[in-house]
Amino acid sequence: MNNYPDFRKFNYTNMYNNLFNQNIDNNIYKEAYEDSNNLYDPYNGFIRGNLFKDLYDPYKIKVPYDVKPMNEQASLLTDIDALGFAMVDLNLYLDIYPDDRKAIDLFNQYRKQKEGLMEQYESKYGPIVLNSDSLNKYPWAWDDMPWPWDN
Amino acid sequence: MWKYEKKLEYPINIKNKDLKMAKALLEQYGGSNGEFSAALRYLNQRYTMPDEKGYALLNDIGTEELAHVEMIATMVKQLMEGASVKELIDNGLTGQYVGHDHALFPVDANGVPFTAAYFATTGDWHADLTEDMAAEQKARAVYEHLMNMTDDPDLLAPLSFLRQREVVHYARFKELRNYYLKKFNKRDV
Repeated sequence: MNNYPDFRKFNYTNMYNNLFNQNIDNNIYKEAYEDSNNLYDPYNGFIRGNLFKDLYDPYKIKVPYDVKPMNEQASLLTDIDALGFAMVDLNLYLDIYPDDRKAIDLFNQYRKQKEGLMEQYESKYGPIVLNSDSLNKYPWAWDDMPWPWDN
Repeated sequence: MWKYEKKLEYPINIKNKDLKMAKALLEQYGGSNGEFSAALRYLNQRYTMPDEKGYALLNDIGTEELAHVEMIATMVKQLMEGASVKELIDNGLTGQYVGHDHALFPVDANGVPFTAAYFATTGDWHADLTEDMAAEQKARAVYEHLMNMTDDPDLLAPLSFLRQREVVHYARFKELRNYYLKKFNKRDV
């Protein structure tokens, strides 16, 4: 069905080893909870709203809701959403800890994966961003449905 | 400048009309601790942060808050979809109907219009970042109140996501504030 790699099936364990173990910056006051080896993978971070295991603080819901895509288009978008989310959360972390090489590498890995999936999505289903090749098309495709706020 | 991504940060597909939740959710749209307030607070404060870490963090969290504004608006829109005049009036949305019909307008759950007086810029990083930490905690509390009002998974999933983002933002603001306390040798008193 899906002809793209499912990043949810990757083994991230080795990648995360020692992610935060290096002494990033002696001048930074480092919160105890940041001394963590543990990140969720993009999908599991996405459904929790938090990529950082030791920062995760759930309320009311014991098990986070899975995003259940109804079709291939939604499934591809979920993967894009998850990678985009991981980038957002790593970006905020890196704003404070810009010397964390492993977090930078992870950010760039997700960025490249998202780029590839965006290309696939946009060529099949239309543009998400205005610099997409899918806009080289007649008639103008940007205003095509669906827009995000519609059900 | 900004670039738009034609998608939500987290998907929202609400199947059941719920006008009481629509009204309650307006608190996070145009309310004092809502997402508009958050976005404007950080995007205005970013210009006077003391260094590049503050510029970056306030810029990036402020930007993410704009995506949260869009999520709340989407929830309110979908919750009111197809509601009749009578249904709106019976669920406390008379003011909404008479002024705005089904349109989005930034008010709080009581219909009080949004105002810039909900946030501050002081030009003082210690004051601004302490406000930002409190703002994230207040928004988290409001999300918990909203989650207490419903058992609809179509609502709980995005509300839980948004609540968790407050937790992360609070932690990052605290880290930035603590970094500045150390950098500028200032006591938190």
